[in-house]
Amino acid sequence: MKQRKKVEWSRLDNASKIFPATCNNKDTKVFRLLCELNEPVEAEILQQALNTTIENFPLYKSVLRRGVFWYYFETSDINPVAEIETSTVCAPIYIKDRKNLLFRVFYFNNRINLEIFHALADGTGALRFMQTLVYKYLILRYKDRFPDKIPKLNYDASMSKKMDDSFERYFVGKDNHKPIIKENKKGILFSAYHIRGTRLDEDRVKVIEGSMDVKAVLEEAHKYNTTLTIYITSLFIYSIYKEMPAYRKNRPIVLSVPINLRHFFESETARNFFSTMNVEYNFEKSGPDFKDVIKCVSEEFQKELTAERLNIHLNRLMLLERNPFARVIPLPFKDYSLRIANKIEDRKITAAISNLGRISMPFEFDDYIRQFSILTSARRPQISMCSYGERLVVSFNSPFQETEIQRTFFGFLSKKGIEIEITSNI
Amino acid sequence: MNYCNHCQVHIRGINNICPLCGNILQDAGNDQKEIYPVIPPTYERHLAIRIIIFISIVGIVISFVLNKIFPSNINWPMFVIFGLISMWLSLIVIVKKRHNITKTIMWQVIVVSALSIIWDWRIGWRGWSLDYAIPVLCVAATLVMYITAKVMKLSVRDYIAYFLLDGLFGIIPIIFIYFKLVNVFYPSMITVAVSIIFLSAILIFQGENIKIELDKRMHI
Repeated sequence: MKQRKKVEWSRLDNASKIFPATCNNKDTKVFRLLCELNEPVEAEILQQALNTTIENFPLYKSVLRRGVFWYYFETSDINPVAEIETSTVCAPIYIKDRKNLLFRVFYFNNRINLEIFHALADGTGALRFMQTLVYKYLILRYKDRFPDKIPKLNYDASMSKKMDDSFERYFVGKDNHKPIIKENKKGILFSAYHIRGTRLDEDRVKVIEGSMDVKAVLEEAHKYNTTLTIYITSLFIYSIYKEMPAYRKNRPIVLSVPINLRHFFESETARNFFSTMNVEYNFEKSGPDFKDVIKCVSEEFQKELTAERLNIHLNRLMLLERNPFARVIPLPFKDYSLRIANKIEDRKITAAISNLGRISMPFEFDDYIRQFSILTSARRPQISMCSYGERLVVSFNSPFQETEIQRTFFGFLSKKGIEIEITSNI
Repeated sequence: MNYCNHCQVHIRGINNICPLCGNILQDAGNDQKEIYPVIPPTYERHLAIRIIIFISIVGIVISFVLNKIFPSNINWPMFVIFGLISMWLSLIVIVKKRHNITKTIMWQVIVVSALSIIWDWRIGWRGWSLDYAIPVLCVAATLVMYITAKVMKLSVRDYIAYFLLDGLFGIIPIIFIYFKLVNVFYPSMITVAVSIIFLSAILIFQGENIKIELDKRMHI
């Protein structure tokens, strides 16, 4: 008798649900993690490393499918292939009705790239995959150099922990009636300042990566008694302000900042586990000094980044997902309403910034890895950054041809005496 | 590594223009490697669609002009328009659903059935749409689906839900018979019979798969 193949599928987590509905050619909801080595990448070894890595991340073998009411992941038997880079930065991955994996691995000269559809994982989740991949690659590539002691990767969560839906685990979806902290919801008509520009052909993304010494930037941040994230966020706001046309200077600049929930709720998941907050600054109201910006931004960070506040926000989101009425709306209508909601939310945002934080790899690899960086698809200018060892890489992704904000941003740092290496894709 | 005096930054890679300010850099012994590959623009892929749109418009304009010059009793330019609309509806469905072949077939059955009823009604209800078109479409779709599933070696779970839908759709002509909407019974009767046999077969032999597949697709 023929054995029936078991069909395995799983639901999307709370944060993932928005991405399949709102992705399009202009905003593919894809991001890329890059690891630049000191020597050219060997394709065959990368493929071997990929073959073993994928076994440790079963959910990454899924394809995304449309049900009647919800999207879902379905396990597939497609094997990922490591290819040389031939597509544009963050090209679309999820295409309706097409069954393909939700990530791709490719290489170019010294760089190993992982591009991933956001519904599958967030930056930290994808980084877990990337770290494992780079680890396996280096072990295979230089196995004769680690004869007696094989370096250990400090990420060894169990299979179920890695594929855990942490939203389900932590947030019950109950409004625990604490009206003391009100979410500063802006009315539907509220609109932030929007950066305008000439779009690049074929909706490409212009990437300008600035690689610099993390200590030098930290020193600058410490001069203002603040952290790296707040410093860079404030500088971003400041650079946008410098290039604002005079007649729009009364509009507030609002940055959307993703929050890694793993810092607040214990989780090892390699899927999505993040929330977002908006940081607002109005130059007309709060003064045009860089110092003022830093002060205001750090206040906003302090206010937003508490477990209690996140709890309330996320429980509300879960409540929305669990709403019996919302659940039985057929998927196409859900898609439309999410797109409209997304458009409304977009009006309230000027740009986005995300910090993946410090990436750690076994110290034995120091001589083999030059730097890590992260890029995102951008429907508006967006900064993403991460650091590895001594190197901080700030990537400026933009759908526009103009580079004034980027120039102000990096110029500000270089004038402080920080050495910056610029890499660009165009 | 190149250096831009203007922006005071080092420039990696092989380009000799500063990506920040656009100034040309002095080439200082460039021994660097490309960091990002140069990706040429892709060519226009939708040329065929554009040509068809153009021909459609030309066809409509010419048919109206001809009708004005050589008047006739029948308002035949309207047929040209209806014909084109029908073709476009069908084409849009095919293009939109092209990544899932069984779904495409299912949608074609629905679209073409609806169109045939409209055509029949517009040219003075002779009943051919219910008599022949819909029953034949149902049986044909079942056959085509079965053949594509086998030829393309699709797995059961990929097509079983559409088989089920097509089977259910094929039972609809029983309503035509019951309410005496049809003049010719045989095609409808055969379709209903085939559909019932087909449905019972997939339910008996693939019932488990259908249940799993429905659980998955219909989860709330």
